[in-house]
Amino acid sequence: MSLTSLTSLDVTGFYALLRREVLRFVRRPRNTFVPPFITNVLYFSVFGVILGERIDEIAGVPYILFILPGLIVLGAVSNAFENASFSIFHGRWNRYIEEALTSPLSYSSMVGAYVLSSATRGVLVGALVALIGAFFTSVGVARPFYLVAFMLVITLLFAGLGVVGGLWADDFDDLTMMNQFILRPLVFFGGVFYSLNEIPETFQQASLLNPMVYMVNGVRYGFLGVTEVDPNLSLGVLTALTLGVVGLNVVLFRRGYGLTD
Amino acid sequence: MASAIEIRDLTKSYGDVRALDGVDLDVPEGSFFGLLGPNGAGKTTFINILVGLVRKTGGEASVFGYDVEDDYREARDRIGLAPQEFNVDRFFPIREVLEHKAGYHGIPHDEARERADEVLKRVGIYDKRDTRFDWLSGGMKRRFMLARALITDPDLLILDEPTAGVDVQLRHELWETIVDLNDSGTTILLTTHYIEEAERLCDEVAILDSGSVIEVASPEELMDRGTDDIVVQLRDPPTAVPDFAADDDRVEAVELDGTRLVVTAQQGGLVAPDVVQALDRQGHEIVDLEISRTSLEEVFVEMTRRGEGRATAEVDQ
Repeated sequence: MSLTSLTSLDVTGFYALLRREVLRFVRRPRNTFVPPFITNVLYFSVFGVILGERIDEIAGVPYILFILPGLIVLGAVSNAFENASFSIFHGRWNRYIEEALTSPLSYSSMVGAYVLSSATRGVLVGALVALIGAFFTSVGVARPFYLVAFMLVITLLFAGLGVVGGLWADDFDDLTMMNQFILRPLVFFGGVFYSLNEIPETFQQASLLNPMVYMVNGVRYGFLGVTEVDPNLSLGVLTALTLGVVGLNVVLFRRGYGLTD
Repeated sequence: MASAIEIRDLTKSYGDVRALDGVDLDVPEGSFFGLLGPNGAGKTTFINILVGLVRKTGGEASVFGYDVEDDYREARDRIGLAPQEFNVDRFFPIREVLEHKAGYHGIPHDEARERADEVLKRVGIYDKRDTRFDWLSGGMKRRFMLARALITDPDLLILDEPTAGVDVQLRHELWETIVDLNDSGTTILLTTHYIEEAERLCDEVAILDSGSVIEVASPEELMDRGTDDIVVQLRDPPTAVPDFAADDDRVEAVELDGTRLVVTAQQGGLVAPDVVQALDRQGHEIVDLEISRTSLEEVFVEMTRRGEGRATAEVDQ
């Protein structure tokens, strides 16, 4: 087969797998979009409106507006991660991932389709959270470039991590464990609901080891134009991390980790 | 004739367990090739190495000249696989599952849809095109597995127990479809527990036992190696058992039960005229004669039993 026909096959094949992955979550809104909708309506109602009225402004913005970027990050990264890990693991569990694995699709195209589709779900959920937020408060975008760049990078990064999780998991409990015991603590201690300046110095330093801090601050910078860490540095580090994780995905697929005997 | 599958010294180990132990095999292009063997012989491992679901430990495997690991994309594009275990995407109706599978092989969406309809009609489940796999009956599921293997118009069709658990009528329908494909030039690799299936369909069979190929031959050649029974019904019972074995070393045993004489011999069809002439010379009147040929199943059982014997002897040593 010539290089041209292999490339053409890869483009069509990549699109077919991407389409399949996107249709999978789009056709099941009760599992994919309704839960974050309900959760975020509750978050904005309780933390934003009920508690928010009793909390002072942070960095010059009302509390409900301060938590909005964090909630968007929370929804976006957890959905990107969950989509990739579930889709890969479920495909392995029921063995239908073999439909793609036994095809002539290149490993990088397979990884590309899984990562991009999962990042798409993350971005869509992020947009959904922003829309919900707009019902509760006035939302503006101070730095559109940074907002888009951070949203893309963080959803791609967590989609890539989700691929690793989906390949690593041995049963459904492993998926739950990754989401509940690793992802959520990182998000909640990532400055979604509080400012780093409000916590003791020791915890501030410890927080800087949490990658989520940089993501939340990056998106917050995009919306509000205020940040507690340098957005360019954050973006650079997160981009490098994303490229590393996606590269790892391709290596794992090529080696058949979790996929072949 | 060029080889569709070429295997040299192929090995696969799982820890201390040797699933494939130095397999050498050539499957000619355009042939209908059977892979027979008892459970655990290594048949599915062999197939999964070809399609990339199992990594070989050693040796070489190629499909139409393409190495299954180095040139995996070219090799996989030529293979259609209908595995024994169902591994179908449960999220989508079966027509869409076929469209996706075709897409992974580089077939554009519109053409994929046309092909999906075509293969669903071919296997007779077009009216179920909007149904999800889980809601199909057992027979329909088997039909779908064949349809999915055919959607990419493969040069090599691998069928792992394609008729397991289906009724007789469907089995015959599936056989007809597979034979048509082979007639039109598709190479078929079939594994089956139904020896009758291999006997009826295959040009050549390989018998795999404990990870090794112990024989490759046509079903006829294998059956010729077994013994046949020449059953002769005489008018009157003879006073003594005729000693055919003394004159013909192809004869292995002679048994007499009243007027019923059973001569067990290799190449029974060739021995039978001699038996008739000898009985005639001895003055016996023959009422009926029947030659019961050995079946491939009997040869298969005998060969794999010998394999068990070898394995036991090796363990004893």
